[in-house]
Amino acid sequence: MPLDFFNVWLSYIYLYVGGGIFFVAGMILIRRTKAIDMRLKRDRFWWKIMLWGFVYYAIIHLILIIAALYW
Amino acid sequence: MTQIHNIGTELDWVVLIIYMVAMLLFGTYFAKYNKDTNDFFFGGRRFTWWIIAMSIVATGISSHSFVKYSAMGFKYGFSSSMSYMNDWFFVPFFLFGWLPIIVYSKIRSIPEYFERRFSPSARFFVTILQLMYLIGYVGIGFLTMGKAIMPLMPEHLTVFGFQIHITLMGLIWVTAIVVGSYITFGGQTAVIFTDLVQGAMLLFAGLMVFIVGVAYVGGWHSFWNLLPASWKLPFAGFNSPAEFNSVGTFWEDAIAGSVGFLFMNMGLIMRFMATKNVHEGRKAATVNILFMLPISAIVVGGGGWVAKAISVFNPNLIPKDVNPDSIFVLVSNIITGPGVFGFVIAAIAAALMSTVSTLLNATAAIWVNDVDKPVRVWLKKIKRDEPADEKRAMMVARISTAAFTVLGVLAVYAFSSYPTVYQAHAFFHATLTPPLMIAIFFGAFWKKFTPAGLISTVVGGVALMLLGFRFPLELIQPIAHGTPYDPIHPFTYMAALYNLIVCTGVAVIVTLLQKQLKHIASRIKKIPNHNVIMYSMVVFIVAVLIIDLLDIFFKINISPLAGLVTLTIFMTVCVALVTTFYVKYDAEAQTIGLTVWSIHKAKEWFKGSKLNEREGENVKVHYKIVDGEEDVINFSKKDMHKMAAEPGDLVYITDTRKWLGGLKSCHSVFGKPHNEDGIVYFRNLHLGKGLFVEGRLLEAEKEM
Repeated sequence: MPLDFFNVWLSYIYLYVGGGIFFVAGMILIRRTKAIDMRLKRDRFWWKIMLWGFVYYAIIHLILIIAALYW
Repeated sequence: MTQIHNIGTELDWVVLIIYMVAMLLFGTYFAKYNKDTNDFFFGGRRFTWWIIAMSIVATGISSHSFVKYSAMGFKYGFSSSMSYMNDWFFVPFFLFGWLPIIVYSKIRSIPEYFERRFSPSARFFVTILQLMYLIGYVGIGFLTMGKAIMPLMPEHLTVFGFQIHITLMGLIWVTAIVVGSYITFGGQTAVIFTDLVQGAMLLFAGLMVFIVGVAYVGGWHSFWNLLPASWKLPFAGFNSPAEFNSVGTFWEDAIAGSVGFLFMNMGLIMRFMATKNVHEGRKAATVNILFMLPISAIVVGGGGWVAKAISVFNPNLIPKDVNPDSIFVLVSNIITGPGVFGFVIAAIAAALMSTVSTLLNATAAIWVNDVDKPVRVWLKKIKRDEPADEKRAMMVARISTAAFTVLGVLAVYAFSSYPTVYQAHAFFHATLTPPLMIAIFFGAFWKKFTPAGLISTVVGGVALMLLGFRFPLELIQPIAHGTPYDPIHPFTYMAALYNLIVCTGVAVIVTLLQKQLKHIASRIKKIPNHNVIMYSMVVFIVAVLIIDLLDIFFKINISPLAGLVTLTIFMTVCVALVTTFYVKYDAEAQTIGLTVWSIHKAKEWFKGSKLNEREGENVKVHYKIVDGEEDVINFSKKDMHKMAAEPGDLVYITDTRKWLGGLKSCHSVFGKPHNEDGIVYFRNLHLGKGLFVEGRLLEAEKEM
């Protein structure tokens, strides 16, 4: 498999843009419907965890790509 | 491809058999916690997050995981772990949408949700799809187990002078009998507790294979340098090869598979329903996805990665044409010694038992709640609101578990044509997930979604999906992102995108046209022979379905593609009209508490009165038994003040030993307070439910 943009970075971008659309839609929906109540400390905690989880996975994948290419 | 036989020693077999017997005994011990079907299916809704998170690991890492991810790891490298690290996108929908809805609505199965949200006919269609999904999943589990054990077996076995040729299907039947008998008697509590042991065991075994394998090739540095860079990437090629690519895996696994696993896998849903409350369920799901899944990716793929490194390190050890599905077993045999290898195979057996037992338990729950009970109501043998005959329900649950074990084995025949378990599983996800996924998603998150939208999706959407299966070049290739065409198994992965598009399209269009459909239905009602018109439509629907099926499965060219698509679209319109005409639906009443838009209301219904969300502290108490039959427990005024509780609020009380994970606990309602601080008044029923030990300190928590 050639290590070009198409095979290395496009897969990463596709996953986080495509998946990100579903993720952001979910975050907006639970806020709009008040399913998550931002007045409650516990729910604010969960909001942060959900955002952090998305970034956490994006960073893990980024590190794995860099490790594969340059380490 | 070479099928390996006779690897392993007698000691390995001894370890494997001891393990299986130990698990059977361990599982059946927990049968004493099954007082009724609530315990049998949901474990009494009592467990803390860590015990559920661990048992989800065991359910999530099935034996198919070891076999299929190691196979892909051997062929393509670290990218085999893609599926384990793409599940976060639907977490907001799950944690704050689907999870609270299913818990607060007190449903006992996913099809039951559809009856309350839509109609009994919606429940009927969803029950069929759910049973197909679960039986298919059981079939995949059995197929993998057979493939995993096959390398250990000789080609022939001589018993009492008779020579028996060992076949894959023969092995699968034997495995099914063992697993089926264990779950038939144990129930959900047995499943959760054996999963706790099995989860730990399979994590240990998988990591051990990886670590020992890395050491075998000379340590981490050597292992890393043996592998080419393309092998170390976390993603496969964007759109090739046909059997494994990133874009296909995104649609088949990150989208369809993730939603399938989190939202519609009744086995997993029942795990979350076994947690003591929604908050614990959220913790279990989050810990599982954030921490356990990345570890699991190493556990299940590590064998394949190590095998690849070994094949570079010493090309003679692994045959070039080895069946990839045997690679995990083969590499484990190479790097471990006698006995240890038996332990690794026992871990695979553990994985199978966990997953299949969960799924069989779930399938039995659906049978009892969504087939047996509604049929008995329909036959007028019981009334709809009549409390269940627990003895009979338990018997039906056990018989149906055994029956679905047999059906699971029969399902194996549908998957056995695929070259690898990975592709068989991908085909299964891409085909069975989209209609249910759309049904659940729109049902829970879109207030306007109607029974006509749902049933049209299940009938018309599935018909269009089948056309895609028959005409992949014409219908799937234009959206296949350039993935290559495999004539034997065309677009196994990208079929998921096509299926999602047609199901979403049908659901959205029919729902948006609801006003017009109602208008047409009301005009038809005014015609004197309206029943003749509706019956004609039903005949037309059945006729088109028969034409589609004949064309798809028997390749009888009744009509060109354009004709079939046109007929199927007309048929879908008819389904929408017939549903709108016959199904009574109150959009206001049937959405309150059942969609994400009214979670607060669902919470109130769950409690049965206004919510008390004041934050209090937990209190520690001893119990005292008082006379009475009512389900209330009484605390002192001081303790209730500390908990910020009022009479009528919900309370959870548990043994203070955290390691029990809530096994000895129960839910109840606060009664009127007394004056004995540090004492809780129980009735005998609480002692029976919680199995509390006399003299032990208990901890009470106000729920809402």
